[in-house]
Amino acid sequence: MSWLTDLLTRSGDALIARFAAWARTLRFGTVTLAGILSPGLYNSATRTVVQKQIYFTAWQILFGFNLFAAVFSLILIRIATTAAQNYGLGDLALELILRILVIELLPLMTALFIALRSGAAINAEVALMNITNEIEALHSVGIDPLRLEFLPRVIGGVVSVLALTALTSLTALLIAYLELYGPQAHGFADFTWVIGQVYSPLLLFGLWLKCLLFGLAVTVIPIAAGLDSPHKLFFAPIAVLSGMVRLFFALMLIEVGSLAITYL
Amino acid sequence: MLVSAELPLRANLSVLENIALVPQYRHNAKAHVANERAWALLERLGYTACAHLRDPDLDFEQRFVAKLLRAVIAKPSIIVIERPGLLLPDTPYPRFLAEVLSQLDKDIDTFRIVDYAWHAPLYPPI
Amino acid sequence: MARPPLPAHLIKHLGLKVGLLVGATVFIAVAFLVYTLFARGLFEPTRTITLIADEVDNIAIGMPLNFSGFPIGEVSRVTLTEQGQGRVEIKVPTKHLRWLRGTSIFTLQKSLVGGAKIRVYSTDLKAPPLAPDATPQLHTGDIGEELPALVARAKALLDNLERLTQEGSALDQSLGHSNTVLGRMTGEYGVLEGMLGSADKAKKVIAALDQSNKLLASLNGLSLKMDRRVFGQDGVMDQTDKAMQQANAALLQTRDSLKKADAILADAKEASTDLVLLRSEIDASVNKVNGLIDEINRKWPFAREVEMKLP
Repeated sequence: MSWLTDLLTRSGDALIARFAAWARTLRFGTVTLAGILSPGLYNSATRTVVQKQIYFTAWQILFGFNLFAAVFSLILIRIATTAAQNYGLGDLALELILRILVIELLPLMTALFIALRSGAAINAEVALMNITNEIEALHSVGIDPLRLEFLPRVIGGVVSVLALTALTSLTALLIAYLELYGPQAHGFADFTWVIGQVYSPLLLFGLWLKCLLFGLAVTVIPIAAGLDSPHKLFFAPIAVLSGMVRLFFALMLIEVGSLAITYL
Repeated sequence: MLVSAELPLRANLSVLENIALVPQYRHNAKAHVANERAWALLERLGYTACAHLRDPDLDFEQRFVAKLLRAVIAKPSIIVIERPGLLLPDTPYPRFLAEVLSQLDKDIDTFRIVDYAWHAPLYPPI
Repeated sequence: MARPPLPAHLIKHLGLKVGLLVGATVFIAVAFLVYTLFARGLFEPTRTITLIADEVDNIAIGMPLNFSGFPIGEVSRVTLTEQGQGRVEIKVPTKHLRWLRGTSIFTLQKSLVGGAKIRVYSTDLKAPPLAPDATPQLHTGDIGEELPALVARAKALLDNLERLTQEGSALDQSLGHSNTVLGRMTGEYGVLEGMLGSADKAKKVIAALDQSNKLLASLNGLSLKMDRRVFGQDGVMDQTDKAMQQANAALLQTRDSLKKADAILADAKEASTDLVLLRSEIDASVNKVNGLIDEINRKWPFAREVEMKLP
């Protein structure tokens, strides 16, 4: 009988530990939101960190990522229009593109890309800061690391996700127009009409909210995971690993949630 | 402000930025103003050569100076140097400390050196 | 000690680049929001036109009203009238109202795949514009469903025509009778010759003429009265005129549906101009029509452009 108690205790402990990690992440998220909204955050030093974060997260990859997104969009638009025309639904192609590519795929792709690139970097950096005691060091000279290092990263991440999503979506819309109507103005009325059909103000608001949540997730979760790691160097890979897994689940949760809200 | 081997510099910032960060953050000083102040302090101690280096590229003395100045630049500056032997293993540190602190006399309000009792004979009598 | 001024950051123009990016993002967001609001017609004056349909199946709010393939309006409301018919309200921006005429025909076309479409055909763009309180009929039902009915009616029509013209028919017989009458009248003992045969008879004729004159005078008076009754305000003619106009409108609609039937028959590519041949062909193909409809239904989306052809 004792082995059963033992097993249940162990699995229960593991479960509690997992939930506790999520709870810490959520708590950090709420602290972050409160911090972002407080005007006391912004000073010369934090502004610089925000700017640097945006620079490294968005500006550096702006051209390359946009190019990639353009090629990706072009291929998907081609597939969508060809398939739609084959089934005699040519005039639904644009709506299909707008709904699937611009509303769902591009934001998710941007979030995943930033998660892989900057999210992982932030996770590793925060874990190392935590392990090498830099956070304590900042405290000792009267600097709140939350306000100097973490909140600016969150702001930078959110702004980066929004900026990259906006730019890639704009590119995708341009490509869709060119692909469907060619470089002429005659399709504009049609195009405008479909845009008006698909994008209600509520949906646009939802889209921005989703991107906002993506941006929060790709920064808050890695930071929380980094802060979670014990002060031992060999825990750094584990911190990054668990942070990235949590981040992936969170992104998928947001995406599925938004889909459910939109279409159910 | 504690200067200790266990409280490292911010790793992704240069020495100058590490020092300038404090007035930037605490007094919302403009970046170039803060940089000028940090540079002036480094200049006084003759350590401008390492201003744009980061933590791993520094030797012990440079790292110690950076940590010290980071503490000094915050006003009021009450400095506690913890186990200087750990911070400056390759230097005859009591003399080095005395030199540095005398050069920064105007900027330091109070300072304490915390060291092991068996190192007491190394320091000049007060 | 001379030294270059310290840069605020190691990255060149950091603030500018970030500002540019954030500015562009905000601009895109706001511009796109305004664009979508514009696309949804928020800044355009619209007028609501009301269509009456037998059934409003497949009509959804937001459905476009297409004219020549361009969306010129969208369904804003679907309700039921007192008479149990569907009332479809369509918002049309005022700039597109010129495409809608009093003679415009509104159709609801369904296809097996894809959504239904409300189309408007305005063959005569010089016709008076659609009256603000007009409630034109929305012709529902897809053409695939109407095809058998149309063919059946065409067949009945042809049957009648044949019955009229065949040997021994009423028309044939009456034509024969008139032939014999005409032969007698132009013969030796024709009517006129017989009448002028004697003076007595001529006198009687004159007297008869006198009487006829009198009769004519009184007839004149009568005809004046008749004039007033018949041609005056609300006289018979006036009413007849109205009836004629209505008949005209009905004929216009009939003509349109006949045109459509023409187009469909032309599409079927099995019709010929020879009526007799057509007759036999229709007879033979009526049985095949069901299969044909299926095929057309299947091909319908691809053949849209062909269908769109209107005189």
